[in-house]
This record gives sequence, C-alpha cells and structure tokens, in this order.
Amino acid sequence: MSDESVLVIGGGPAGLEAARGAADLGSEVILVEQRARLGGTPDSAGYSAFALDHRPAQEVLEIARQAVLTHPLVRVHLETEVSSFAGELGSFRATLKAADGTLTEVSCGAVIIATGFDHFDPGRETQSYGYYEFEDVITLVDAERMLQAKNFVRPSTGEPPKQVCFIQCVGSRDRRIGNEYCSKVCCGVATKEASEIRELVPDCRVFIFYIDMRMYGFWEDRIYWKAQEQDHVNFVRGIVTEITRRGDRLVIKGEDTTMNRPMEIPMDVVVLSVGMVPSEGTKAVGKMLGVAQDKHGFIVPSESALDTVATSVPGIYVAGAAAGPKDLDDCVSMAGSAAMKAVAALRRRSPVSV
Amino acid sequence: MSQSGLIPLPVRPDLGFIDRLTELAGDSFTQCYQCGTCSVVCPFAFQGTGLPRREMALAQWGLKDELLASPNLWVCTTCGNCARVCPREVDIPGTIRAARELYLLERDPGRELATAFENTSRHGNPLGQSARKRADWIAGAGVEVPIMAGLGRAVEVLFFTECYWSYHPRGIDAAQAMARIMAALGADWAVLGIEERCVADSQRLAGESGIFEEAAAANIATLDRYQFTRLVTPDPHAYNAFRNLYPALGGSYQVQHYTQFLAERIDRLSLGPVASRRVTFHDPCYLGRHNGEFEAPRRLIEAIPGLELIEMGHCRANGYCCGGGGGEIWNSGYTREHVDERLSEVRVREAISAGAEVLAVCCPFEVSLFEDAVKSTGHQGELEVRDITELLDEALGAAAN
Repeated sequence: MSDESVLVIGGGPAGLEAARGAADLGSEVILVEQRARLGGTPDSAGYSAFALDHRPAQEVLEIARQAVLTHPLVRVHLETEVSSFAGELGSFRATLKAADGTLTEVSCGAVIIATGFDHFDPGRETQSYGYYEFEDVITLVDAERMLQAKNFVRPSTGEPPKQVCFIQCVGSRDRRIGNEYCSKVCCGVATKEASEIRELVPDCRVFIFYIDMRMYGFWEDRIYWKAQEQDHVNFVRGIVTEITRRGDRLVIKGEDTTMNRPMEIPMDVVVLSVGMVPSEGTKAVGKMLGVAQDKHGFIVPSESALDTVATSVPGIYVAGAAAGPKDLDDCVSMAGSAAMKAVAALRRRSPVSV
Repeated sequence: MSQSGLIPLPVRPDLGFIDRLTELAGDSFTQCYQCGTCSVVCPFAFQGTGLPRREMALAQWGLKDELLASPNLWVCTTCGNCARVCPREVDIPGTIRAARELYLLERDPGRELATAFENTSRHGNPLGQSARKRADWIAGAGVEVPIMAGLGRAVEVLFFTECYWSYHPRGIDAAQAMARIMAALGADWAVLGIEERCVADSQRLAGESGIFEEAAAANIATLDRYQFTRLVTPDPHAYNAFRNLYPALGGSYQVQHYTQFLAERIDRLSLGPVASRRVTFHDPCYLGRHNGEFEAPRRLIEAIPGLELIEMGHCRANGYCCGGGGGEIWNSGYTREHVDERLSEVRVREAISAGAEVLAVCCPFEVSLFEDAVKSTGHQGELEVRDITELLDEALGAAAN
C-alpha cells in the first residue's frame, strides 16, 4: 500500500491542490512543507487580492489548507525538508528532516514537486533603481501588503501619494541579469494594483511604464480594460532607466517610445514589477531528485503537449511555479493534472483488483 | 529624415541591407524590443530623437535610406552607455559603426569627416600635419626622449604617442609632461617618432574601416621591427584598438594606457604639494566603459598632495561622453547643426555644479574640447582643464623646489 502513496513536496497553492487531488482519488499523500504553515508564498507575502474572485490570498488559501488538513488520506509534515532521496517509480524512498533534526524515512510510489518561486530581488547589483536606497521605491510585493491593509501611502511620509508609477520587467526579459524569460504575472498584478490604488486614493495619478503588456483571458478582460477605461491608469510604452531624488520626491527618467520623447516625471512612490525566480527549495529539490532543470533552476516539464507535468524522471511530476513563472490559475490547473498523472501511473503498475 | 521620428509609409524594407548590416555587426540588433532603456542614458537624450532606439528599429526593418540619412547615425559618439544598460545585449555602437561603413560605401561623408579621412590617408594623422614633424614635440620636453630607430636595442616601454599628443598644442603640453615623468621614473623607454602612424580607431568607428586596416598593417610592420616589453599609449582609442583589434590582425602586445602604467609606479615618484584645488575626473569612454579601467586615473589624482578628488553624478560606468568619440571630434559642425548643445558643454556645466575647480582628463581629445566648452559656457577662469600628466608634472616640480 505504501508504494501507492504520493509524496508532495511544497505546500503552496500547487502543492495543496496536488495533495487534495491525489487524496481525493484515493491515494495516501505525504505533504512536506518547509515553512511552519501551509499556503506558500502568496500566503506568506500576504497578496491582497487573488485573481478570479479578487479575495485576499490568505482567505482563499485557508480553504485549500483546510481541505488538506482535514483530509483523512493526507499526512502533513510542517517545518520539514527532504534530506535524501532514492528509488524509482513505484518504490521511491525519501528521508524527511524536521526542524528539530528528527529524521523520518518514508516510501512512496510517485512524487509531485511543488516547491515554488521567490520574488526577484531588485537590489541585485545590475539593477539601478535604488530599491535599497530610496524608501519610496517598493516592489509589487511591498505594495500588496499596503493594499491588503487598505492603506496605500508613501513609505517615507505615511501620506497618500499624488503620483505613483509601476516599472515593468524588473528582473525579467533581461539578458544582462541572466533572466531572459517573461515572468508572466507582473503585467496583470501591476495593473490590478494600479486599479486598487486608484480606488483607495482617487486623486492619485497612476502610470505603468511597460515594454509590452502581456495579458490575456481574465487578466485582459477583467483587469486591463477596467484599469484603462474605468480607473484611467496611464499606460506608457517605454521603460524607466533611472530614478533619482529631487527634493523630497523621486524623479523617474525614461522615454515615451511612441513619441521619441524623453520623460522626467516626479513620483511619490515607484513600484518595481519584480518577476519570479526559482525558490531555493526548487533549485535544491530538483537537484536532489535528479530531474532536469533549466539554467535558472526551474524544473523542466515534459515537452509533450499532452503531458505538461512529467519531469525527466518517470514517476516524478512538477506543478506550479517550480516549473517556471505562472499565475494562480495555471498553478492550480497544473497541480490537478499532476495529481491525476501521479495516481494513474501507480494504478497502471498495479491493476485494480475487483 | 524628419526629426518627428515618424516613419513615412509605405514601409519598403530592404532585406539585403539587413543581411549586409548583419555581416558587419552581427545580428544582435534584431534582438531589440524597443524598450527605450538606451535612449534615456544616451548623452543626446536631451534632444528627444530616440537615439539609438529608433536606429535599431530602422535597422530591424531594413529601412536603409531612413537609417543612413538619419542625423542620429552621424552624431552618435559610440560612447557605449546604451549597450551598458541594454536588457537585450544589443551591440548598439557596433551596429551604428556598421551602418556608417555601409553609408560610406556608396555616399560621400560630410566635408569635415572627408577632410579627416583624407589627412589620415595622406599624412598619417587626421590633423593634416606633416608626417615628418611627428616627433617635433620632443624638442621642448626638457628631457631626453629616445627614439626607437636610433637606439638599436630593446626597451622596456615603447610609447605610442598618437596624433593629438604629437601635434596639438595642448596635446604637446601633456606629451612633454609625460616625458618629464618618465625621466623622473628613470624609465627605459622610447617613442617611434616619425615612424608612427595614426592608429585610426576613431576613423574606424566613423565607418572608415579601410583606413584603420591600412594603418594597422603599417603600424604592426613597424612594431615588428623592434623589441619592447610593453606598449603604452595616452590615447584610449589607440589603447582600445591595440587591446581588442590588433591581436586578430597579427599584433599582440602587452598594452597599457599611460594611467595604468603610471599607477603601478606612482610610489616611485616624489610628488610635492600643488596649489590646493578640488578636482573632478572625466572617464574617457574608451578607457572606462569600453575597457573597464576606472581606478588607475583616480589613483594618480589621489596621489598628488593638495588635490581633492570629487565625483560628478555621471562617472565611472555611467560616465558622460565628451562628444569627441567615434569620429565626432572632426564632425562638430555637423553635430552643431543637428543638436542643441555640445556634449562637452553639458559636461563642463556638470563639473562646475559638482564644485570642481579642475577638470582632469586622460584622453588626448578632451583637453581642447573641454577648454572650448569652458569658454563657450561662460565659465572662463572658473574651471581649469588639465591632463593628469600635467598635474603630475606640476607635483614633480613642486617636489623639486
């Protein structure tokens, strides 16, 4: 029986959905999470409004968390990491290391990696936006915290801002820093935040400086058009290159590329639309389990159009942002697919006895 | 090409032009995604012409006529600040250079550039001076300056003086100061004298690769006849060519800019206190940004008692251009027609507002450019422009007295 159990590594949105899905299909699930609480980065970073139903991440993830915690087939190991791993499809063995150092040996037939992402650190040397220098230069993540508290202010003064801008593609699509990929969610998240700022501080002008706005489906239909038509967010095509301080305000320098026009605009708050990088857990787990990773450390899923969750090792699947930047919908959908494929692989090996 | 930046329709791309540009510059310009990062750090950003973002779009389209007729193509100094920040790693200066080369294949350069090219071909220097007078500066140095041809032996340092230090009055001041510094060091050195020819890297960047290759062949043949440990030059453009281009043409040397050579030996110079002044340093694009040397010139300035080194906002990798690179030293009339302010004037204002009393330089083009700019901006008497050799020479004199 133990060989038909599924080990899920990571308890964020993808890991929670994968665990719930595999358990609902009747498999025993071992869910390992390094943090003290299930929910992953959206939960710990306190995203204010989640896509689709626009509810706070912590509220949405509480539902997923309870579904797993109350499921009779799921065993949850918090503050635990996988410290060694061996075996093959149907007979994997893993050592789980708890925070107090206790080691537990478990066996499982299949594995789902859902170890997620980190936010790009805009203080990395090649970025010149002064994130660690200017208090009023913040990231999408910092903005989420203020928006969740329904109090969007200039960090340096505590006053409501008069002008705010977002700078897109910070840490993404940039060969100089080595992240040539698109982080997929920042356009939508920035636009959503821009609308939220307009609602909270109605006399604040909000600009988004972009290279391309990359949104479709929900993000375009319900976030982008609303921001443009209803909330009058200013979308400007051209990226900001420099931020300097003038008096007690920030000044951004960029170019409106549609008009060849240099811009120098005072801003009270500048929000850097930071992208996604693989989490340390994704890099380490991918290596330990021996699955193919790209040069950044993201786990590379199968290139088959009919299988979006298989890794290079039979019996090991990947879901969510561990496989590259993704929005919540895609993470959860991928998790469902991973659960189904993992359980199916085990059932195929041992024909169901009637 | 109108300055409005609108491309007239219909668009008729010349795909063959894209291929020819790619052969010369590589295809990195095809990676540009028009983000506009470059046009903000371009020293001509104030002009609002989209340089060099617009030129990369014209190159991608293959809009040959628009690109080649764009004034932007000919005001660019190839300073390279655009390439420093480009998230797509486009070789922007290389693409501009290649487009200029294609222009020159079928059209005449402007009068100013044509004169500089012709002088370089005919006299071995862009100033149009007699090749036989190339070593005349030696006479006023006050110390012996050995000439390779007369020595008949190997030397430690072969000093490649280049044109502006050989001929330009303010360049000669610096060359003679350098000779006195070398004498104070007791250096085993010599110059090529009249055997030297312009390295012509700036002519290459202005699109004339033929002149550059011909000059390189002549200089390499000359250098091959002599034995020396290192090749030292005061010209960052020559340094760039010796370091990055000569090896592929058969000339591999241990090459240093004079600031690097002197910085390694600064402890051996006895420097006395000079009149106390605040000095700011202008990083030459082809020493700093293009070749990564930011420290050596600063070490020299900081070693001089009495001088206080202060930095301008644009410095080191984000240094501002003097306006003379990429052949623009000879194209100032054209640039003046198309641009509202000279870069040297913008830079002089920055030095003044930083509180500097001396603008220290270490590129032969810069002394005269900045001295003119001090006058034209009305700051005469407020800002001295000095080559670092002149400041060192002053300190040697102070120690001797």
